Amino acid sequence: MIALPSQSDIQRAGLAADRIKTSVLVALVLMLPAIALWSIMQGKLAITPGDVVSAHLAFDGSRIHVIVQTIRVPRVLAGLLAGAALAVAGAIMQAMTNNPLASPGLFGVNAGAAFAVVMAMSVLGVDASAAYVWYAFAGAALAGAAVLALGTTGKTGPGPARLALAGAVITAFLTALTTSVLIFDVALLDHLRLWTAGSLGGRSMPTIAPVMPYIVIGLLAAFFVRHQVMTLSLGIDTARSLGQSPLLWRGLCGVIVVLLAGGAVSIAGPVGFVGLVVPHIVRMLVGVDYRWIIPFSAVAGALLLVVADAVGRSALEGVDVPVGVTMAFVGAPFFLYLARYRLGRSP
Amino acid sequence: MKRPLLVSIAAIVFLALLGMAFGDHEAGVGDLLRWWWHPDAVDPMTLTVLVDFRLPRIALAGLVGASLALAGAITQAVMRNPLAEPGILGLNSGAALAAMVAIVMIGGNSSFYLSWAGTAGALAMVGLVYAIAWRDGISTTQLILVGIGLSTLAGAFITVISIIGNVRDVQRALIWLNGSLYDATWAKVYGLAVWMILPVGLAMLLSRELDLLRYGEDTARSLGQKAHIVRSGLIILCAMLSGAAISATGIVGFVGLIGPHLARATVGHGHARLLPVAALFGAVLVMAADFIGRTIIAPAQIPAGLMTAILGTPYFAYLLWKGRNAVV
Repeated sequence: MIALPSQSDIQRAGLAADRIKTSVLVALVLMLPAIALWSIMQGKLAITPGDVVSAHLAFDGSRIHVIVQTIRVPRVLAGLLAGAALAVAGAIMQAMTNNPLASPGLFGVNAGAAFAVVMAMSVLGVDASAAYVWYAFAGAALAGAAVLALGTTGKTGPGPARLALAGAVITAFLTALTTSVLIFDVALLDHLRLWTAGSLGGRSMPTIAPVMPYIVIGLLAAFFVRHQVMTLSLGIDTARSLGQSPLLWRGLCGVIVVLLAGGAVSIAGPVGFVGLVVPHIVRMLVGVDYRWIIPFSAVAGALLLVVADAVGRSALEGVDVPVGVTMAFVGAPFFLYLARYRLGRSP
Repeated sequence: MKRPLLVSIAAIVFLALLGMAFGDHEAGVGDLLRWWWHPDAVDPMTLTVLVDFRLPRIALAGLVGASLALAGAITQAVMRNPLAEPGILGLNSGAALAAMVAIVMIGGNSSFYLSWAGTAGALAMVGLVYAIAWRDGISTTQLILVGIGLSTLAGAFITVISIIGNVRDVQRALIWLNGSLYDATWAKVYGLAVWMILPVGLAMLLSRELDLLRYGEDTARSLGQKAHIVRSGLIILCAMLSGAAISATGIVGFVGLIGPHLARATVGHGHARLLPVAALFGAVLVMAADFIGRTIIAPAQIPAGLMTAILGTPYFAYLLWKGRNAVV
């Protein structure tokens, strides 16, 4: 006689799987400080872990301590924040649109935020990040809404290619406008040249600190609504039959995406592919459950961006490759893989 | 057929006259006419401005626009997709990357040499796009997505080159990259014109094949077309046209989309009529973009490539919106 697994067996297996996931997540979280420390040590000037500790506990004004406090630590902190924010934004977008290509970079959200920041700085003369982060939010929201409107309306529904095309078009438009503004503002161009490619270089505490609360709030909010995101990802009909108000939760998720992507762009520039790659890799590891994808994406995104930035600034002698470029080298092949193997084919 | 031709030729002449008359230096066609009759009555400075700066710039804008629009018309026919555009397929960024390598890494200067580099880059990119998108046949979705992905990758390489290259070369390359007609010379004009003769001639001769492609591979084959050979040949023509245009001026996007579209709206689908009208429309577009770009906030100049992107993307969005009920 074949013994069918009883209800309690299934529950026990599920609990065991949950326990494994929890311990992996805890391990990843514990890795964060180690990776952050390693990243602080990378760069032109060799820095030992002891320097990092003493720079904070016993600051003596030496060159190494100043570099640790004003250059390396803010840079790594910016990477952690932006990485986590972009990855979670991508995960939520993928759940909302049910589109494997959804991510702040491909869907024009980053370009919208970047354009708004450049406009605010150039035309309105805003230079405090506390002020321009709001422009970043507005730009991210408008661009995202435009891409959704272009890509998802119509009888045939949102095909992956249609949304990607809409995103590419909006991005091309906004990038051209941004470049036009920068051509006339040479001082700003010099200031933002690397930022527009997505870079963590030259971040200082005063530019990061005002943005940090928004990203933290966005991450916490994403964590608390992860059950609702899971329901959203089942599609609008299922979500409604489960008693979820699609409009309310979609709207709320949209606000979270804007907070996260806008915040990330204001500190790191339009870094692409984090929001695409991280949720996919996480999904391969933990399955399709967004209750797990969201926390895992946050940690993995932070790790990925910090490592990519450290590699970018130490791989080539004396050259600081913007993290947006490093991410493109990692992310574009992954995108091609998705395009070739993971997307439904249409004639 | 005659009307659109006449209108676009009139527009080209008008834009050429405008382009001659506007700029930092006071000069116009009048000076040129006066010089024709009385060579001494015009100061050499004015003559240099007109003959060595403005005229080649106008001519180059026209040629680039024509070849980009032709390339776009061919792409749309081959892919049987009205949203297909050389830029979307990654052709532009492939050409840009190759030319960037040629300028910064090798120090290539002559425009003929750059044409080869650009064409090679565009061809390599098409090959790569097809190779990656190919899985027992080609689907448009995959082609478009792979094109977007590879363009991003090429863009990343361009950024890396611009970081590690010699600053002077990089600056030159970046100005060129944004689609600038700033340093147009007669040498470039002749280079591009000579280069274009072969692909333009072949495209015109193949206009019937292009018509057949529209009905789909099976129909075309049953009407006696060797579809694969024709397609590959046409894509090579396309890479020659856009590769050379891009090497001459950098990335001037969306002309390959808009030119053929407007032409199709006016003269219909037959390629024997579509191709010349598209080429003329393309010329008008780039000439107008360059003229607006260099006069709207003079003395500063917006590169023509940025102008066509700013004007072209809304048009693309409109097409996407209009076709929202169709399968991509």
